Amino acid sequence: MSIVAPETTLPRRPLVGSPRRLAWMAFLLICLIVGGAAAYQVFTKGLVVTNLTDTVPWGLWITIDLSAIALGAGAFTLSAVVYVFRLSRFRSMVRLALLIGIIGYTSAMLTLLADIGRPDRFWHPWVYWNVHSVLWEITWAISLYLSVMLVEFAPVLAELSLFDRWPIVRRLAHLIHKATPALALVGMLISLIHQSSLGATYGILKARPIWFKPNMPILFILSAIAAGPAMTMTAAIILEWVTRRRTVPLDVLRTIARFSGLGLLGYAYVKLWDLAVVAYYGRTPGSESAFYFLNQLTPYGFGFWFGEVILGIVLPVLLFLAPGLNRSRSNLALGGVLAALGVAINRWNVTVSGLVVPLSYSPGTMYQPPAGVYWPSLAEWGIAVGVLGYALLVFTLGARVLPLFPRRSRDPLQPER
Amino acid sequence: MAGANKRVELELTRRDLLKVAGAAAGSAAVAYTVTSGPLSPFAELRRRQQSGTDTPHEEARPIHWGMAIDLEKCIGCNYCTWACSAVNDVFPDKTWNIVVPERTPSGAGFFFSRPCLHCQEAPCVEVCPVQATWVREDGLVMMDYDRCIGCRYCEVACPYDARKFNWEEHTAENEFIPTWGIAEVERRPRGVVEKCTFCVQRIDRGLELGLTPGVDREATPACVNICPVGARTFGNLNDPASPVSRVIEDHPNLRLREDLGTEPSVYYIPPKEGL
Repeated sequence: MSIVAPETTLPRRPLVGSPRRLAWMAFLLICLIVGGAAAYQVFTKGLVVTNLTDTVPWGLWITIDLSAIALGAGAFTLSAVVYVFRLSRFRSMVRLALLIGIIGYTSAMLTLLADIGRPDRFWHPWVYWNVHSVLWEITWAISLYLSVMLVEFAPVLAELSLFDRWPIVRRLAHLIHKATPALALVGMLISLIHQSSLGATYGILKARPIWFKPNMPILFILSAIAAGPAMTMTAAIILEWVTRRRTVPLDVLRTIARFSGLGLLGYAYVKLWDLAVVAYYGRTPGSESAFYFLNQLTPYGFGFWFGEVILGIVLPVLLFLAPGLNRSRSNLALGGVLAALGVAINRWNVTVSGLVVPLSYSPGTMYQPPAGVYWPSLAEWGIAVGVLGYALLVFTLGARVLPLFPRRSRDPLQPER
Repeated sequence: MAGANKRVELELTRRDLLKVAGAAAGSAAVAYTVTSGPLSPFAELRRRQQSGTDTPHEEARPIHWGMAIDLEKCIGCNYCTWACSAVNDVFPDKTWNIVVPERTPSGAGFFFSRPCLHCQEAPCVEVCPVQATWVREDGLVMMDYDRCIGCRYCEVACPYDARKFNWEEHTAENEFIPTWGIAEVERRPRGVVEKCTFCVQRIDRGLELGLTPGVDREATPACVNICPVGARTFGNLNDPASPVSRVIEDHPNLRLREDLGTEPSVYYIPPKEGL
């Protein structure tokens, strides 16, 4: 299978066909309709349709942004692995990783558009700069990085038969393809910065004792580097199940899983010391009362230990690293889903827990601002369903239409399984 | 082959020497810029230490608007909140000013009230991605409602819960108008964050008319004017003769969460039982 064939187009395939596919498309359509209805509510009535308050102004949507961007981290990790560190065995994964990255970042942007009070001013951070603001830096970084991903992905789009008549497109794509190592390097740098800045968004806020710590950005970037590639790996396996075609050799999937497993161990290591310093030894008045409050009034401990540690770290680490377990594709996929879930639970826990703890600023002993209570409203869930529908739709179409797995491998060492 | 005592010849060409020297000079330059140059993160700290003042911007600034709130005098009547809400067209679900019952550590009751503290090192200003909020030369923390994108990061960052978001369009009549005053500013649109302004409209217009904010009522924040017991004083903190400076001079005082280093412009005079 190592014959080098000229760049050719893929055969045209009908977009809809079997009843199974029809049902799937109908499901996606329903998701999009639900999302559209929720978006209509949000844009006409304002954010009053959410359960967000001045005490808990960030909630489900911010959790989705943070998770989608973290889970899109496979794009920069695998691009860097292939094009910067020259490990070409993973080349077959890069296009899929990029697609997932693009889906993650655009999903986050769509959600943000609903979340900001003035969606008509979404462009303000590009024009009115506050270079001190981590959120300004993040806005710039995610826009720049999305552009980098789109440029990196352009050659894949250029392979569509649509462009058969336009050789210029193919030539341009070839030029871009040659620049991929540079793009991958730039993408890696931007990602390393903004993936951690997302944690810094919380870590720099001195008013919130359980957020204010230098580990915040480190925990965010480690979890993203660990869970992002696992997400891509899982997507590859799911695609294999759906299309009933083996596209990526098991040893490539396993190596990615091992990398993610080690990444999760690194994440767990920092988390352990963070827990020891902040919660166990630290016990500053602020964090002590915050944790007491959280454990009394919310399932914080359960969410942390069960959701983040057992589901999100221990189980995936076992599935990814134990030699007896990581030989089966379903175990790897399960581990990937759990790791992704763990990241989402972590982002929720960080955001909502930090906000529901009442601030303490009065010089007296009695008054505390009201404690936050938050559970997403129907409209918030609706937007979430809509964004999920969008993400799955783009994934489905991408997998259906685009040459995600180049069938003629340029790497003769890559065995077919 | 594995010659244990094979001699290693070290040959240094002029080019190598130049390279090493260049690298050393380069690193030194970088190290200097990072640690002590004007771009260094410590530059501001050093400048402050050398100028001998704790608060930044404090040198060579003629005006710094500030407020003193006497917790011993406050009777908890809420007039300040109501007058504020009328003059600034604020709705009762998100008042800019709050008055709440409080207790000292020894158990004595008092009333605590809080406007925006107009921090000189304001966390909200630092985090705003579009510079819709900033510290003005005279110490006021300003808000540009036309620039705010409504991300609410400032609300999350404020240690004092002073910021409020417009979750919906307010179309109803304001129940505080006209009993407690007449609206002097435009109602804010849906989707932006707002907060106490120290009645900046009165300060700016008053100065134009040659009045002294804190002394002349037309140029003084509504909450200060309405207070029946004179618990609130306003004025220029950098003018030792201003009413606010005299109150602060004459009483023990504190600022909220000094430990956070936010440098608020509001000083509190504790109740006589102490805090």
